[in-house]
Amino acid sequence: MIACGHSNDQMSSCVLDEETFCRCCQLFLEHSHSLCDGWSWQLVKGSEEGYLRKVALGNVRIRTSSNPNQITDQYIQGASSDQRQGRTSPFTPHKENDDDHNDEQYYDDDDGAVCCMQDSRSSGVIQYEYHILYSYSYQTPVLYFRASTLEGRSLSLEEVWDGVHPNYRQRLQHGPWDTITQQEHPLLGQSFFVLHPCRTEEFMRPVLQAALEEHRQVNYVVTWLSVVGPVVGLDVPLSYCTKVPAPSHTSPSPLQPPALQTQPD
Amino acid sequence: MAAVSVDKDCADQKLQFAPFSSALEAGFWHQLTQKKLNDYRLDESPKNIKGYYYNGDPVGLPTRLTLEFSAFEVDGPTPVRCCPVTGTLFNTNTLEAFKTSDKKALLEQQAKEIWDAIQSGAALDDPSLLCRFLLLTYADLKKYHYFYWFCFPALCFSDGIKILKEPATLEQIFSPRQTAALQSGYDRLCSETGTSAVPYFLVKYTEEDVEVAQLRDWDSFDNARRTIYVTVGVYDPCTLPQHPGWPLRNLLFLIACKWYVPKATGFLLDVLEVVCFRDRTLQGSRNIQHSIVFQVKLPLPDLSLNAVCPKSVGWEKNPKGAMGPRMVNLSECMDPKRLAESSVDLNLKLMRWRLVPSLNLDKVTSTKCLLLGAGTLGCNVARTLMGWGVRHITLVDNAKISYSNPVRQPLYEFEDCLGGGKAKAPAAADRLVKIFPGVVAEGHVMSIPMPGHPVNFSEGTMAQARKDVEHLEKLISEHDVIFLLMDTRESRWLPTVIAASKRKLVVNSALGFDTFVVMRHGLKKPCEPDDSSPSVSSSTSSSSSTPAEPAQLPAASLFSNIPGHRLGCYFCNDVVAPGDSTRDRTLDQQCTVSRPGLAMIAGALAVELMVSILQHSEGGYAVASSSDDRMNEPPTSLGLVPHQIRGFLSRFDNVLPASLAFDKCTACSQIVLDSYEKGGFNFLSKVFNSSHSFLEDLTGLTQLHQETQNAEVCMRTAIYTAAYTLQYIVQHKHCNTHYLYM
Ligand SMILES: [Zn+2]
Repeated sequence: MIACGHSNDQMSSCVLDEETFCRCCQLFLEHSHSLCDGWSWQLVKGSEEGYLRKVALGNVRIRTSSNPNQITDQYIQGASSDQRQGRTSPFTPHKENDDDHNDEQYYDDDDGAVCCMQDSRSSGVIQYEYHILYSYSYQTPVLYFRASTLEGRSLSLEEVWDGVHPNYRQRLQHGPWDTITQQEHPLLGQSFFVLHPCRTEEFMRPVLQAALEEHRQVNYVVTWLSVVGPVVGLDVPLSYCTKVPAPSHTSPSPLQPPALQTQPD
Repeated sequence: MAAVSVDKDCADQKLQFAPFSSALEAGFWHQLTQKKLNDYRLDESPKNIKGYYYNGDPVGLPTRLTLEFSAFEVDGPTPVRCCPVTGTLFNTNTLEAFKTSDKKALLEQQAKEIWDAIQSGAALDDPSLLCRFLLLTYADLKKYHYFYWFCFPALCFSDGIKILKEPATLEQIFSPRQTAALQSGYDRLCSETGTSAVPYFLVKYTEEDVEVAQLRDWDSFDNARRTIYVTVGVYDPCTLPQHPGWPLRNLLFLIACKWYVPKATGFLLDVLEVVCFRDRTLQGSRNIQHSIVFQVKLPLPDLSLNAVCPKSVGWEKNPKGAMGPRMVNLSECMDPKRLAESSVDLNLKLMRWRLVPSLNLDKVTSTKCLLLGAGTLGCNVARTLMGWGVRHITLVDNAKISYSNPVRQPLYEFEDCLGGGKAKAPAAADRLVKIFPGVVAEGHVMSIPMPGHPVNFSEGTMAQARKDVEHLEKLISEHDVIFLLMDTRESRWLPTVIAASKRKLVVNSALGFDTFVVMRHGLKKPCEPDDSSPSVSSSTSSSSSTPAEPAQLPAASLFSNIPGHRLGCYFCNDVVAPGDSTRDRTLDQQCTVSRPGLAMIAGALAVELMVSILQHSEGGYAVASSSDDRMNEPPTSLGLVPHQIRGFLSRFDNVLPASLAFDKCTACSQIVLDSYEKGGFNFLSKVFNSSHSFLEDLTGLTQLHQETQNAEVCMRTAIYTAAYTLQYIVQHKHCNTHYLYM
């Protein structure tokens, strides 16, 4: 359960145990499925641990200096110089159109049945990946996130920052954006950005204590996410706050991760 | 239903499909890397993988086929409401194999499998066989460059597909009641088949009702309607209002082949109605009304027994719109060294974002630091510099690592002491790179010639000394900040002179048993002819003792508001020239033991002082802050920029004295700098080879000593050269001007 200063007289912190975290997540997921907004519970292969995950798409300006096309050109030119001299690789861009020419010999898509797509549509698309994990050391949920291009290249924090609307930046700079660090995902071992949990208790305590005084039940994960989510562009619809219940105290269910639901509702 | 009539507008219009855009999540490449390293290794055989597409995107997003980290678990779950697609991965071992692989053959092989599935009827039972992909990859795991090329094979009708009725939204065609029936019918189909999304299905409808069924149920699913036309549904990932997405293409082939000549009725069915099923949930509200409906005339495929596989297309264009592979450089997110660098950078930026918004980090990280001495101070200074993200650190030392070192010198280990011990400087540099591969660290084994330590024993020793001086001059020129961290006083003299002459910032640190000093040397004004700064007097050295001199220097300036160019150096406070301090010492004086925490404190303060200086707009010329300034508005975002920090561990106290440059200083006075700049090594060798009286004669200290029989003058000198002693030092018995050095 959520322990707060009032209930345990010696404790001055507002912490969340793992079982409550899992039950909060289960209730969170039930509502997510009704909204069809893409949250799912990911079990880590060969372990009982898991996390909430969501992928959202958006657009961001990508800095020209890290334009992947430029890198491609540079690299391919560099790579081809390693090859035998005078050899023409199928995609060495000697001139703009030469690589097309080289591939025409085996490929012709001009069957008239492909509608013309502006590729700029996909070049600015960014995949935002959000993971909610339980932190044993801080006894709070932790938000991990990363953003990547459709090629699977993770963006630097500067590039993510570029995608933040200027009107919102000033507020963020003083807000919890300043707690973003880069860390290995504890379950996946890949590099993610993290909203560091060191301040979580600071902003959760007043909320939880107020709720306690009003005898109101709070779903910790929902309350927490509605504060930290917007910082990194993650929208939490209001209905989560109004419709997702707190885990019941009277009938504790056995500890188990939320069921993985793949069925449509 | 109205009879089918061809819209005049689209009499010649051909159906066009929106191709898939490949979409890879960052986790996919991580997983491919793991598979390649641990599983596939050199195995190039095709592997089954899995992707998915979604039909609920908002308008404007490309039609994606997404592969995430779970792509390698073919039997794993598919995200809710997504349609799985099986694919084949061809991962080559070399770039050459990637380039030369026969793309035409790969595509044709896939097309053939689809064609076979259509002809055998397998695709009717399992329509997911119609939509598949092929992924050709080459992973350069040294550079973390990944080459890839997707192919989404599609069979082509040679003359295209004629549109009979232009696409309209479902809202225009279906009543709300029909729409609701279609939606619930589709959901029921999903739960019946136990899948997250059914890619293809049959539809029949009246004004009252809509029914859906699996493709395989064709024969039992109301044959009567087929006399007019057939309606099929496709789970459509496209959001364009006029075009279906790619998955429809091969379905049209299946339908053309299977039902062009109906078995039972003998009617020719060449009109097909298509519902591109699009299913979007916004703010919890689900909607399929933007699905599109249109009619096409199916061409007659060659159905003879020996029919060859039709022409196929499907290789994805690269971002330039050309036929070619894509490459993604993931070194920043996969290369451990790059990850370490970005983590270190981010950590520092956090400090800026969180606490000191005006902090100029680039000024710190781009500073090239030369550390003279790689002992307890050198090791601690180097580590603190790394903490600040300094990327260029050079160490100089001539000692070897001994058994007593590792416990106090945090860049060394026991192993480094074995076999006589490794040379300190290179060992320290190697360790720095091990700690953080992003640092450029060098170690130079070198002795620094010292005053009173003759080098003229032979031509060889002279040549060596000349070489050492040149080497040191070169190193000092190449760096921005020079740290003096040696264990003897005299060895600091030569770098002090060279750095003063080259106008390099010097940060000096020395330790006693429980006291330390950390100071910046005064930074002389840039070399200009006739620069007559008041602190730089002419060779008429006695002028400092004339009554006129103190009048030029208001009393306040003795202790406060001293600009950086008038600050003293390490030797300014001395009234004797540096000599051989390692000789003729009592054991107590020679004892180089300090309290173990002292080097960490002093080393850390030396770096923090440097950082504060760099943050000041005037850098080394910044006015010295004093202890009195602690209550005032700080001159930099990080606070004060003192001249000296003198610490007393016994009292756990630091003071911030400031003192003027001494015009008879044996290291930084104008006469010494002039002699060095004009005489070069000839002058220096005289200093090395002579007793301390040579420098004292040169600077006028000798004359001063003779005059100091007059007690008043002596006192004045003491005030002038070591003003801090009056204020802070005299009462501490450990703290006269003779510090012991580590
Ligand atoms: Zn001096």
